[in-house]
Amino acid sequence: MTSHPPAGTPSGIVLEHVTKRFGRTEVLTDISAVLPPGRIYGLLGANGVGKTTLMSLVCNHTFRSGGTVLIDGEDPAENPVVLGRTCFIREDQPYNDAFKVRDVLSAVSWFYPDWDAALAERLADRFHLPHRTTCKKLSRGQRSALAIVISLASRAAYTFLDEPYLGLDPSARGIFYDELLLAYSEHPRTIVMSTHLIDEAAGLLEEVLVLHEGRIVLRADADEARTSAFVARGLDSAVTALVGHREVLSERRLGSILSVTVRGARTADDESRARAANIALEAASLQELVAAIGIGGIGGVDTESFTTQRTSR
Amino acid sequence: MTYARRSLRLYLANRSYVTLIPGGILVIMLAMSLVIGVAIGMATEFPLSAQIQEGMRENNGGAVYSIPGFLISLGALAVNRNFAMALAFGSTRRHFWLGTLMGFALTSGATAASAVVLLALEKATNHWFFGVYAFDVAALGKGDYVLTFASVFVLAVLSLALGALFGTAYRAFGTKGALLTGLAAAVLVVAVTLLSASNKETVGSWLGALGVWAAVVVAAIAAAISIAGSYAANRLARL
Repeated sequence: MTSHPPAGTPSGIVLEHVTKRFGRTEVLTDISAVLPPGRIYGLLGANGVGKTTLMSLVCNHTFRSGGTVLIDGEDPAENPVVLGRTCFIREDQPYNDAFKVRDVLSAVSWFYPDWDAALAERLADRFHLPHRTTCKKLSRGQRSALAIVISLASRAAYTFLDEPYLGLDPSARGIFYDELLLAYSEHPRTIVMSTHLIDEAAGLLEEVLVLHEGRIVLRADADEARTSAFVARGLDSAVTALVGHREVLSERRLGSILSVTVRGARTADDESRARAANIALEAASLQELVAAIGIGGIGGVDTESFTTQRTSR
Repeated sequence: MTYARRSLRLYLANRSYVTLIPGGILVIMLAMSLVIGVAIGMATEFPLSAQIQEGMRENNGGAVYSIPGFLISLGALAVNRNFAMALAFGSTRRHFWLGTLMGFALTSGATAASAVVLLALEKATNHWFFGVYAFDVAALGKGDYVLTFASVFVLAVLSLALGALFGTAYRAFGTKGALLTGLAAAVLVVAVTLLSASNKETVGSWLGALGVWAAVVVAAIAAAISIAGSYAANRLARL
């Protein structure tokens, strides 16, 4: 058993054997993890692996089928103090249809004592959010921008960002990147962010949790995760010879060109052999790593060896 | 109470919608009664004859019939439109429900106050100058201000609570759940009616003892059941 910290102290999020079933379908299976406070976590994985569901369970938006969820040592279910420290705007967040953007920003300020109105105003301006437009008329990107404004200006101790990049153009994504880091450095908090644009978000993330088929299959410091695999790209026969018997997480072919993601760190010998054989070697990006897990699946990838911090105890 | 007040503010965000429109509906009902009165007067005489005035006083239930439609939809919308926002902003279901219920009380109070003001105007103008009865009617207690306020207030609470019950059942159990809730409510009403019919004397004596307050008490009981039902469903509502 885990010894839980006293209730109320900032101790992060604890998940113990959390399970979620929708009817006969098990969406999340035996999820256990401890997320210490004051870090930025990336919740990564393919569509439908349960990222949003997991965040919903933590915030009690939906009900778990089994297991324990604790925030700051307390069960968040119907706990006004604990839930008051959370902000979770879903990717498909419904708003009151009659509300304009300014109404939503006004309403959210009533819920958060530390609401940063100046930040909300600045962010809304930077994202060119139309204050007088009703929420139902916002474009996909504007909805994402609104979610970002709410999430960052809420200054909630536990902020959950659900696919915050969806529909944002490159310049808006840059604004989000800058503002998230600024808000985080000025008012440190725990941020859990699910995203598909992994490489773009990689610079923000301190720790990543990769979900696959309802389980956390990879939990690692973001930097460590990036060095835990490498990509070799070149002529098929040369790459095959270089890789040898090492485990290949994924491979792609284009004519005679082969690109493989290989588990483990590349060695000096690999570098010199690659130079001689005209093979490009580079560290696997988080995106490639997650994609490899998605392609290989649990059966194809020994994810245990990637886990630098064990998630189950 | 701080937590519930946040959801109350959310409910009141569109203030005119939840406080003025119900009163506006009563004004529209009054306008329709006046149009009918004018039509009758043109065919007969002005002011309306004592017999017609008495008929309107006994039978004009417009104040009662006009309220539920809008308020049921308002109740259903309130629990659906704001629920997802309140939860996203860290509210508990319980406080959302409590705050919304407080909002319902305010809407009902505003609606009942509108009815009382219109009743006072009706009396002051000698029934709109030519004998039209819209609020000084049997359905609202024949000009009794307290009974008029109580009747409209309880009817408004019942309508909002019914709407909230169906809306919350939809959130908790989906479309089938909302349909089943409607079915269960219909079965309950039929069962109570049949039971009352088969025990006419007993029920009659109970209602007789309540006198002019009978309808208000029956509506209040139905409202209490709806409120309890919406609270139970609210605990299971999800996004």
